[in-house]
Amino acid sequence: MTEVNDRPATTAKAGLEFAGHELSRASLDSCVKCTICETQCPVSAVTPLFTGPKFIGPQAERFRNGESVDHSLDYCSSCGTCTLVCPQGVQVAELNSQARAVMKADHMPIRDRLVSQTTLMGKLMTPVAPLARWALGNKPIRTLMEAAVKVHRDAPMPPAQSQTFQSWFASRPRPATVPTRGTLVFFHGCAGGYFEVETSKKTVEVLEHLGYEVLVPRQGCCGLAQQSNGLFDEATASVLKLCDDLRSSGKDLTIISSSGSCTGMLKHEAHEIMGVSDDRLADVGTRIRDTMEFLLDLHDAGELPTDFAPMPMTVPYHAPCQLKSQGIGKPALEVLRLIPELTVVDSEKVCCGIAGTYGLKKEKYEIAQAVGRPLFEMVKATNPDLALCDTETCRWQIEQSSGVKTVHPIWMIHAAYGLG
Amino acid sequence: MSRVVVIGAGLAGLVAANRLAAGGAKVVLLSKGLGGLQLGQGTIDVFGYAPERVSNPIRTVQALPGTHPYTRVGATNLLAGLAYLKELVPDLLVGDPEANYQLPTAVGAIRPTCLAQPSMVAGNLGAGDRVVIVGLRQLKDFHPQLVAENLARTDLPSGGRAKVRHLLVDFPAREGEIDSSALTYARAFDDPGVRERFARAFIGELESDEIVGLPAVLGVSDPNAWRHVAEKLGHPVFEIPLPPPSVPGIRLNEALTASAKAAGVRFVPGTRVFDFRASDRRVGSVTIAVEPAGREFAADAFVLAGGGFESGALELDSHGRVRETLFGLPLEGADAVPLIHGDYWGGEQPLFTVGVRVGSDLKPLDASGKPVYDNLWAAGGIIAGSAGWAEKCGDGIALASAMAAADSILKELS
Repeated sequence: MTEVNDRPATTAKAGLEFAGHELSRASLDSCVKCTICETQCPVSAVTPLFTGPKFIGPQAERFRNGESVDHSLDYCSSCGTCTLVCPQGVQVAELNSQARAVMKADHMPIRDRLVSQTTLMGKLMTPVAPLARWALGNKPIRTLMEAAVKVHRDAPMPPAQSQTFQSWFASRPRPATVPTRGTLVFFHGCAGGYFEVETSKKTVEVLEHLGYEVLVPRQGCCGLAQQSNGLFDEATASVLKLCDDLRSSGKDLTIISSSGSCTGMLKHEAHEIMGVSDDRLADVGTRIRDTMEFLLDLHDAGELPTDFAPMPMTVPYHAPCQLKSQGIGKPALEVLRLIPELTVVDSEKVCCGIAGTYGLKKEKYEIAQAVGRPLFEMVKATNPDLALCDTETCRWQIEQSSGVKTVHPIWMIHAAYGLG
Repeated sequence: MSRVVVIGAGLAGLVAANRLAAGGAKVVLLSKGLGGLQLGQGTIDVFGYAPERVSNPIRTVQALPGTHPYTRVGATNLLAGLAYLKELVPDLLVGDPEANYQLPTAVGAIRPTCLAQPSMVAGNLGAGDRVVIVGLRQLKDFHPQLVAENLARTDLPSGGRAKVRHLLVDFPAREGEIDSSALTYARAFDDPGVRERFARAFIGELESDEIVGLPAVLGVSDPNAWRHVAEKLGHPVFEIPLPPPSVPGIRLNEALTASAKAAGVRFVPGTRVFDFRASDRRVGSVTIAVEPAGREFAADAFVLAGGGFESGALELDSHGRVRETLFGLPLEGADAVPLIHGDYWGGEQPLFTVGVRVGSDLKPLDASGKPVYDNLWAAGGIIAGSAGWAEKCGDGIALASAMAAADSILKELS
């Protein structure tokens, strides 16, 4: 069992002071100006408004002393691609996220505070799901919303559900199978709790089918949306509260999540971007696995049953940026290839454009659409009825912009195991 | 199925991964980031200077002394590697191991290389050729007057000189940008409509029989973009590679990556391999430095193809000690005195030939000549004994060693 000390949360002040001064800044001297990050940046590929990760990151960082030297920094979507591709280990995206938090600190738009309230949105929308769905699909209302809070009228919104995952989990009949493989903790995240309830259910059902007992502690938000909007104080409090929640189920259990981006927040972003240095975070970060990563690990160990029913179809798969940045490759691709007669086509596209809340914003919407356009075209051309992607906001973006129903890869595993 | 971990995504790593996967191994390719191919010219240098300009690279390789990596790897593997690479990317590389191309560079010098992209080879000039170098006013890093004037006063390796002039065309890649990168242009040139407008912009200024030299920005996804431009101009065209971001390098990197993925190679990029486990002279696993606790990859065989100093695979500390940073392998040439001499314009620095000594099967050897680990192979820039940039032999060594290592692994694991 891991022994940890419960220390107080890192404060906002410490978070902003950390920005640009520790881990990431130490990496900027490794930049050899090779331009590899620039060639892969999905934003500068579609607009000259963003001058690219190398210029905004390691180059501009040398001239920053609190004040940012170039405000095109705000056009960085924080997708993390630059860090992923850097062959010298420079934390380009982290530098940019930190600098943006400092830049916005004294004039944070109300909109950015609102769109990062993911738990609140879920709590408000679930009891009035049909109304919420109607309102968010209503043009005049969305136009008013765009004018009032600068959330683009055509941007994807979370699909309101009538039942939360927690309520389903508490009220469902006990699973028929007896656990033989031990116990796992399930982290559903805000989206998986309130909006992508079906993905959470299917994940739990697959894990139980494999022989695990699944515990679901009461849990809050990981703070990712706050972090990506520069609200480091709020995000730090959220992520550490979540660590306490998840640790309440047992301190040495593996934690599983189908929310790829929230998993990334716990594994590395809270530490690398906000400088949260807390044993609770390190403990949870070490034990958490993305669902498909967990299944691939089982398969690599020869422990994943592969009695999958054939699924004679071709589906496009898009690996989200925040999954790719976890250093696990694209586990869904490997696992899905175990299903007979299923052809999975990797989109090989850098980003869908949404980047959390970036693509919702009125002034970024067109850029986000241009970033995602090659992906939307690929998806439509590969299968007009179904696409796969591991994270929620990316799925909403792909579905809204391509018109193709987009689900988590666990849906295929669930179906191929004959679980309904 | 045998599992192989390949470390590194440059030419050596990608070729080894392709060959291993095609041979039936289950391959995971681990890399810190994108490999270095797109920092190069998108060509394959086999031997350029020995030290005088080389015209027949394979003959030069066959005459090398025993300490050179080529001698250890063998010319047979080199020839097989060149043939294999052309098979992997059939539309992207042409050339003959018996004859180097001599191609103009972005400063108007002439560079020997063995395999080149079809879009470049009209730049292999002969005496009296009439050439016009065409630049784009909004493109960074390409100065047609510099290229033209230098090229005009250069004696061609085949004898004589070309007659060279230049043109500068006002042709933005996209609205709102006055200093676009080569890649921004290349993406624009993937659009046939852009190519037609571009050709119309200066066709009237071309003189009959002129060969048109252009910066290497003629499309990144469309392999026939350059042919379309040539057809619209009615003149032969050739591309001149630019400093990074190198579009021909990106083409080569993307093609080799795509073929590896199609062959089933699993890519795990973005994280440095920093640790390993071994027992009984066998490597059991390597660990990547993913936050927060690392991630282990077990395999039956491992290929170290992480390059040299440029990528951190070799490191020089402040005490003048050189270290191979992952396995701590014994290094050849590391005891040279001095490792770095003070004559900046003098001969090669001994430091740059430091590397791992390998046997003919490409396993790193210890001082007694035995493999350090029975299931560890090395390929590419980590191998001791040559200065790739001086001899222009780095690509060929990467290719030949990747080929030999992969074949040795497939043989042992079968």
